[in-house]
Amino acid sequence: MPARRLQPSREFHVVVLGAGGVGKSCLTAQFVHNEWVESYDPTIEDSYRTQLQVDGRQVVLEILDTAGTEQFVAMRDLYMKTGQGFLLVFSITSQASLEEIASLRDEIIRIKDDENVPIVIVGNKADLEENRQVPRARGFSVSQRWDAPYYESSARTRTNVEECFIDLCRQMLRQEDEGGADDSPTHKPEHSAYDSHKRRRRRRLRDGQRCVLL
Amino acid sequence: MQDSGSNRPSLQVAPLALNRLNKGGTQQYPYKQSEMTPPQTPSSSQEDLSEDQGSPTFHNFLRAHYPFDNSALDDSNITMPLDRGDILMVHSIHTTGWADGTLLATGSRGWVPTNYCESYEPEEIRGLLHALINFWDLLRSPSVDDRELFSSQEYLRGMIAGIRHLLQRTNCLHKESSTVQRSDLVRRCRKEITSETSSLVRAARRMQELQHGTLDPPQDPNDICDEMVLKACQIVLKGVQLIDTLEEERRNRAPASVRVMDTVTEGSVASSFDLAQSLPLPLNRRLSSFSRPPTRTEPSPQGHRVSSSLSHRVSLAGPSSYTRPQFLVSERLSRSHDAFLSHIGSFIGRLSLQSQSCPELASAIKQCASSGSELLAVVDAVGTHSHSNCAALALARSILCERIHELVHAARDSLVQAASDEDLIMPHGNKELLMSATGCVRSAGDCIAKVRNAIERLGDFELVELESSGLDMDLSILDAAARTRERKQSHVGLSETASVAESTGTTGSRTPGPRHAHTPSLDKPLPEIPAMELSQEANPSPPPSRPESQHSQGSRLNSLPKLSTTLPPAATENSHDHEYLHSTRVDSMIASSAGSSATYLSRDSETSIVSQASTRATTPDHTLVPRPKPSVSELSATASSTLTEEVEEVESRLMEKTYVHELMFNKEGHVTGGSLPALVERLTTHEAAPDTVFLSTFYLTFRLFCTPTKLAETLIDRFDYVGDSPRMSGAVRLRVYNFFKGWLETHWRDETDREALVLILPFAEGRLSHALPAATGRRLVELAKRVSSGTCLVPRLVSSMGKTNTAIAQHIASDTPLPPPITSKTQQNALNAFKAGGYTPSILDIDPLELARQLTIKQMSIFSSIMPEELLAQKWMKNGGVETPHVKAMSSLTTGISNWVACTILYTEEIKKRAAVIKQWIKIANHCYELHNYDSLLAIMCTLQSTTISRLRKTWDLISTRRKDTLKPLQEVSDTSFNYKALRARLHEHVSPCLPFLGMYLTDLSFVEVGNPATRQMTHGSETGDQRASGLTVVNFDKHSLTAKIIGELQRFQIPYRLAEHADMQEWLSVQIDGVRESGKVNVQRENYRKSLALEPRETVPRTTLEPMPTPTPTPTTSRGDFFGWMTRERSQTNTPAPL
Repeated sequence: MPARRLQPSREFHVVVLGAGGVGKSCLTAQFVHNEWVESYDPTIEDSYRTQLQVDGRQVVLEILDTAGTEQFVAMRDLYMKTGQGFLLVFSITSQASLEEIASLRDEIIRIKDDENVPIVIVGNKADLEENRQVPRARGFSVSQRWDAPYYESSARTRTNVEECFIDLCRQMLRQEDEGGADDSPTHKPEHSAYDSHKRRRRRRLRDGQRCVLL
Repeated sequence: MQDSGSNRPSLQVAPLALNRLNKGGTQQYPYKQSEMTPPQTPSSSQEDLSEDQGSPTFHNFLRAHYPFDNSALDDSNITMPLDRGDILMVHSIHTTGWADGTLLATGSRGWVPTNYCESYEPEEIRGLLHALINFWDLLRSPSVDDRELFSSQEYLRGMIAGIRHLLQRTNCLHKESSTVQRSDLVRRCRKEITSETSSLVRAARRMQELQHGTLDPPQDPNDICDEMVLKACQIVLKGVQLIDTLEEERRNRAPASVRVMDTVTEGSVASSFDLAQSLPLPLNRRLSSFSRPPTRTEPSPQGHRVSSSLSHRVSLAGPSSYTRPQFLVSERLSRSHDAFLSHIGSFIGRLSLQSQSCPELASAIKQCASSGSELLAVVDAVGTHSHSNCAALALARSILCERIHELVHAARDSLVQAASDEDLIMPHGNKELLMSATGCVRSAGDCIAKVRNAIERLGDFELVELESSGLDMDLSILDAAARTRERKQSHVGLSETASVAESTGTTGSRTPGPRHAHTPSLDKPLPEIPAMELSQEANPSPPPSRPESQHSQGSRLNSLPKLSTTLPPAATENSHDHEYLHSTRVDSMIASSAGSSATYLSRDSETSIVSQASTRATTPDHTLVPRPKPSVSELSATASSTLTEEVEEVESRLMEKTYVHELMFNKEGHVTGGSLPALVERLTTHEAAPDTVFLSTFYLTFRLFCTPTKLAETLIDRFDYVGDSPRMSGAVRLRVYNFFKGWLETHWRDETDREALVLILPFAEGRLSHALPAATGRRLVELAKRVSSGTCLVPRLVSSMGKTNTAIAQHIASDTPLPPPITSKTQQNALNAFKAGGYTPSILDIDPLELARQLTIKQMSIFSSIMPEELLAQKWMKNGGVETPHVKAMSSLTTGISNWVACTILYTEEIKKRAAVIKQWIKIANHCYELHNYDSLLAIMCTLQSTTISRLRKTWDLISTRRKDTLKPLQEVSDTSFNYKALRARLHEHVSPCLPFLGMYLTDLSFVEVGNPATRQMTHGSETGDQRASGLTVVNFDKHSLTAKIIGELQRFQIPYRLAEHADMQEWLSVQIDGVRESGKVNVQRENYRKSLALEPRETVPRTTLEPMPTPTPTPTTSRGDFFGWMTRERSQTNTPAPL
């Protein structure tokens, strides 16, 4: 693996999901696009791989963004299975897109069979404030309910693009540090799952406000 | 002209801190710690630069601001010395600030410190500089097909357009223009440019002949290539010269208070003193006066002095320059004065160092003396011309002469003393030297003022030959003193060179830089370098062996220097060791850490990889010798003198209107951007038929970047303006006609293109018919009328992208018999019964191979009818796919198949039978795999691997391991990770018939769409904010090329399988698939999962989420207490679809 060099870097698979037209591919492209590459060719193997440092740790992200194939509903299961962390993207200009990610989340939890799978909720197109349909408070309440951080981003102005990916990385690293406790929840005694959940929540609270205002 | 002076970022030095990564995430980039501040700039203009540090700057061209002498460096074999005014083309820049560049004057390549340089791209010449980069890339790129490239002279167009642009901007396009007429110098520059261009054209013609095998005698193509690159560099240098000359003339036309010199000299003496006292002298004040508009009358004479002297220096760009201004006595005077001051200045700079070695001192003194003697020679020359003012001048001259003598003697004394007791000369012994040096400066200023007075009275005159030195003394006394210590020359030199540069910067000139003085052996008496150089230039001797020198140069160009060092630290000695150590450490760290292009700024990733590799190497590569000046300039001078008729041709080519300068290219020579007129010009070049890929890309995508009306307008305009150049109008006009014809015949889309007919029809009836044979006009009119009547001329299915005739012929040999459908009697009976409305056969009743075939036929018929237009601009995502019926049909069929697979499995209640169904699907998937039907394969596999199916452990247990093993390769192909790596690899080697997964192309197209901007800025490399704004915005054609490439790839597979359709089975298939689709289930996946749970309930004790939700939101508590938990959960969620 080309990414493993000096220090053992972790490799995570992130799946970017959302309804068509919410600009999730813009978000991904912005994030993986090296500015010095004049033209962005998405057909090469490394198009969606990127390396970053999260809290001093080297992380390689393999991002799966199936933009353009939203109509291939049956494929979603396959995509989701590969993911360890999920970026659920909706557009603040579309109420329907928020509802879409709600059902996507259900599907993720069903497929991963894990309530605590790392998720970040992203309200994209934050630059189009005048067309806003989803009030910010709505986003926050969803965030609290799902216990997942909420970011309002704009791929156009490059606001909160890196931040949401980094947050997701942090969650995945944390979960891995817990010894993959959440990986096989079905075989665990009840209290352990509960504890882990509680622990996570405590940490969340300690981290303070997770929702990011623009 | 006026604004170019202020526009030119003369104070901007190429990247110092290359941390483009200062943006958002502090934790994001792993190379943060490897950033380092490069060694200090020789000038203290650091303040100016510091603000620039954050923003990324990669300059394609640099101009040496200070002379750089690498002879004292360990890496002198990989670094390059610089003279002030040298122009460099940059290939890559290392984070340390070293740039890998090619010196235009000689073509030699090596590492140079960017802090000695400033970015160079005045607006006038920007086009030409950019063209040179393209030209270079094209000729040096291994990925370009030589045969194709050199078969025409198409690749010269960029250069020629660049030259045209330069001449146009400088008002020199026409020989008769006032700018050219006014000045001999300008005329001469212009002539040199055209003659260089004609020799470039001549070389290109030789290349063309070589390609056709008609060149006699044959030459090595590489030689010609090298020659052309060198010629191109020469052209650019001449262009630079032209700009400099114009600049200078502009200054000369400004008020002549420049001539007042007395006070001025005081100023420079004072500053030299400053320099001796405290090294970091604020320089920016003086430098900034460089860019001051000269029309403003400046109260401070110092400003004038600086600006005038600097402009002289600038005018002497490039070692090859030999132009008339050099021979004007006033020029020579100020030049030699500058040289003298710079040497003295650098000498004073050295004195302030704590210690230095004897040979260094000796050579510095020798430089001073030699430049002093040249100055005296000029003074003498003026003296012999003038007789009236002789007394005052003679006095001043003798004082200067005396001072120089004093200095040399003082130096000798201290050298002798040093030789007797210690190796290094200590600063406290330098006082005397300092005194005499400043005395020299003062008296020189005095003398120069007198001489200028004399010249003013006399009028300027030309002075070609110089008498021998005016300073008659034996400088070898210095050598005698120095020789004893020569061997012990320490590497203090490192810090010294920097300080030399620093002090030279204040008063500096490009004329005999310290480098020249270093080259001769210290044992010999000081040669008269400047004088010799001049006489050589005056009588250019033909080079002894031309091809050889060309060749050796070529090899040098190709060899990449390796470097593992840092910039010469400019700081004082005590800090230098530490800094050196530190930076080397950092350097090696960069090399060992995971390098990405972020570490380097480079024009392209390819070079950056190379330079990355080269920096990793720890042993320096010795192939690069520090440039022995090749005789390029002389070569071109002799070569170009006889080519009058070719010059005429170039003149006429320059007159042609063109938009080539508005095109952008990549390394492979493909167009990546351009304005519409430039793209249209590219489509209709006179020399060669347009590149088919380019043409079909254009036809496919032009509606994304312009309206059909605009295109028609531009084409017609092209048709008109080419009429001015009879040389090519015929061919071009025919191509314009052909483009219209192709558009109307095969690429017409009536709904959008109709608006263009109002332009095309009159054009075809009028101008076209007049200019070309009447038949063409008639044909076009006919076509236009037919499309306007709404008939499609050519069946739309035949699209040109990616489908060549050979490809089709190869894979559909129509005589191969169709394989007969495999249906047993019972199977046929079952289907018959189904047809009659009776029993519906199950999946198990059908032969798996035949099922795979029929699936393939069904899918392929839809896939083949996908129109390229459907794939543009993410149309399939908009309006529910109304405009893209085939893409929509394809995706819903694929999804339908997946769901059908799931249903056949889940709705088979009996476990053994269920296992048999799964087995059947594995077989079908295998057959799809063998048929290269990846779309069906993925549809089946995604269901088999879905949690819904894969969780049916008991069912899977009934399937043999052998059978399950056959799934493995299928799983591999359907693996989406690494961007469908496995699938892509397979598709790459496939020829049709093959059915790829449409979704992959859709994703690719989406990302091309969002990942690439619609337009590009023609900034010619530099990315500074204001320049970006001034650049031309052009169509990002690269984006459309990528789109077209992907669509072409898809179309490659739009070729039907040679399989026989089984009507009954097709019908059965449709019913099966549609049956699932129309079952009215809101969410098939959820429904299926529910069914799956019902079939095989969860095995373990399910987890229960006990924790109450922190907010009193009415979320249903998700209970998984029993396996019916999903029911409550699902239901509540479906009832309130958005509890948000």
